Amino acid sequence: MDARLRRVNKEIADCKNDKSSRVTIDLVDDNPFHLIGAFDGPEDTPYEGGRFQVDIVIPDNYPFQPVKMKFITKVYHPNVSSASGAICLDILKDAWSPVLTLKSTLISLQSLLCSPEPRDPQDAEVAKHYMTSKSSFEETARYWTMIYAGGPGKDGAGKPGKDGARDEIAMAGLDRAHVDQFESLGFERSKVVRGPLFIQRGDVGSLRGGQIDVLRRMNYRGANVANINDDRVVEELLK
Amino acid sequence: MSSDYEISDEENGYYDEDEMEVDFDDESASEIEVDGIGDDFKVAVRRERKVYDVDFTSLSQPEIEKIMQTDVDHISGIFGVEPAVAAQLLRHMDWNKEKLIEKYMDNASSVAVAAGVELPPREPTPPPPKASSSRLSSTGPQRTTRRSTAEHSKSSPKSKRTTPPVEEPKEFVCPICFDDTQTEFMALICEHKFCASCWKEYITSKVRTEAECTITCMAEDCNIVALDPFVQKALGDDKETWERYQELLVRQFVSCIPHLKFCPYPSCTYTVSCPAAATKSSLVTIVPIVTCGASNTHVFCFGCPIDSDHRPVVCAVAKMWLQKCRDDSETANWIKSNTKECSKCQSTIEKNGGCNHMTCKKCKYEFCWVCMGPWSEHGTAWYSCNRYDEKASVDARDAQTRSRASLERYLHYYNRWANHEQSAKLSMELYVKTEKKMEEMQITSELTWIQVQFMKKALDVVFRCRMTLKWTYAMAYYLASGNDKELFEDNQRDLERAVEELSELIEAPIDPETIMTLRQKVTDKTVYVQKRNEIMLEDTAKGYLEGRWKWDVTVEGFESD
Repeated sequence: MDARLRRVNKEIADCKNDKSSRVTIDLVDDNPFHLIGAFDGPEDTPYEGGRFQVDIVIPDNYPFQPVKMKFITKVYHPNVSSASGAICLDILKDAWSPVLTLKSTLISLQSLLCSPEPRDPQDAEVAKHYMTSKSSFEETARYWTMIYAGGPGKDGAGKPGKDGARDEIAMAGLDRAHVDQFESLGFERSKVVRGPLFIQRGDVGSLRGGQIDVLRRMNYRGANVANINDDRVVEELLK
Repeated sequence: MSSDYEISDEENGYYDEDEMEVDFDDESASEIEVDGIGDDFKVAVRRERKVYDVDFTSLSQPEIEKIMQTDVDHISGIFGVEPAVAAQLLRHMDWNKEKLIEKYMDNASSVAVAAGVELPPREPTPPPPKASSSRLSSTGPQRTTRRSTAEHSKSSPKSKRTTPPVEEPKEFVCPICFDDTQTEFMALICEHKFCASCWKEYITSKVRTEAECTITCMAEDCNIVALDPFVQKALGDDKETWERYQELLVRQFVSCIPHLKFCPYPSCTYTVSCPAAATKSSLVTIVPIVTCGASNTHVFCFGCPIDSDHRPVVCAVAKMWLQKCRDDSETANWIKSNTKECSKCQSTIEKNGGCNHMTCKKCKYEFCWVCMGPWSEHGTAWYSCNRYDEKASVDARDAQTRSRASLERYLHYYNRWANHEQSAKLSMELYVKTEKKMEEMQITSELTWIQVQFMKKALDVVFRCRMTLKWTYAMAYYLASGNDKELFEDNQRDLERAVEELSELIEAPIDPETIMTLRQKVTDKTVYVQKRNEIMLEDTAKGYLEGRWKWDVTVEGFESD
């Protein structure tokens, strides 16, 4: 049997036998080199209570080259891309060692959730949020955990894919009062039709960049609000 | 591959004399940078050299390996360590022997630990016979080390919870492949034990896909390096990977030594030694164009990454020029005919519709597209500019003209540069045709094979001179105006005229009746062109040595004068 296959099979079997860590590795289809791993959000973090799925691709010369992993479940974390799920972690790159396993790597991801490294970010916007206001960041991360990772929330619901009454403001980690403030100036809150209403009527055509997007991009949060002039926000909104 | 080896074997014998010198030269030159010594030695062997040629020696891979071996033996002797350990210490210190000796004498074990040839002192595993740890045979006795892998990874902070305890059946199972049929195990001095086939795969993957010649232990966070005998043993009968590994070692060595450079041509394994161009400051006075021993078409510059002859221009200017061409050439013409620059911030602006009241997107400066003057002075005369002669507008247009002129000046040089490059390419295509022509001549005339070689020779000269001409335009672009530049351009003009005349002669149809006169003409012209080329190159080379050339921009290395 091919050494890579034997090793992967053994790793999957080991993982099945070990119930204590609550780390699972499952096949996507019949291909043993494309897997889905899952683990619990670590305790005492905003990710607690969530279950996080990871896409795993085993390269041809595994285990001599690192395994490829990215989050399937959306995660609000400085070292994880909020859009693609790409992960910034040394052991997935040059610090990889062939003695590491899928399970140990998943557990490393779990501990990455415990200890974000915002100075080496994968997602600069999230990292900025983290640096500006940790408590606000955590609130957002908790909200994402609830919405995407099935974490505990007001109703305990909010499974991935079911996007009914998601709170876009909380999702972007913004303050409701700020959004209301600009909404009162006539800027559309919605993410779908973007841009200020009065300009649309003025036949300038549809402009892009809803105000939530704009405020998020500008990191309009916590203490940083004082640094951002309202005129600049309006200017951005009008773009 | 076999052909490579044939060549290198041949060269080996051929260059025997050189080799002795190179060894000598290497020692003296690396300790104190005495360029003179190298020169003295090579003058005797090399042909009489021109002022624009630089002294260099070509070395094959085995020759470099011999030089490396000398260093290794030296260190091995001083430190009393095995050659493989000495080699790794040298690699770790980028082959800086003096620095290695100094640091090693200061604190041997910290250097050894950093280089990965000795275990860090507070390793939890009970120490093996310590005194000889660095001497431990690198292929190592294979000890049973059940605990080490699991324990070692636990000690690293990041993986506190990462490594599940390795299940320990009675028989040792390799923690990488879990193949219980494996019987042969290997470990480095850290005693992290893995099966031989995993080692082989791991090393192959490092060498082949990552081009890595420093191979650390497979255990997590273990920095112990696999020494050469271990690598060779692990690779077993995989000769190809072992050879690649050795090539990587040579490359690493060459990249550490300032007076050595690897031939940049694909799959070439030769190295050129050029002590005269080893320092950055030397590149102000010389253009170190060299050729490796594998083929005389492997022409490259020792001082910069350009892999062709860029004489007479020094590296810094050549680099600036190429950069400028990359940025400018394709768009320059379009910009010239379709845009204007903002008179305040010089941003390039294309007007693609609307009125003449322009607002620069970058600096927000408002101006009139027609007169280029500030909009504020236009008062109520919107959309009809009647202020063409106002002072502000004139000033703005002057600035515009200056900027246009600079673009036009650049295009003047660029077009000639590009033209010579194109012509040189075409003359290479002419090669094939010429060969036919030469055959024809042999048939139609009384001339022998050797006598028709003049065509080929002429073509070679044309090609070389066009290359020179091409670069003279880059040089002229940056030269500050003055007498020196005028003389330079006179030389350039003479060479250019001669080259064009010769080109025309070569392209002329062959007539059996006039072939003898043609031969005479071409041969004479070739000699003349060669002479002109030499004058051009010699004069510029001398100019560098005399510090005669002045640039109208700041050129790296020239600032001081």
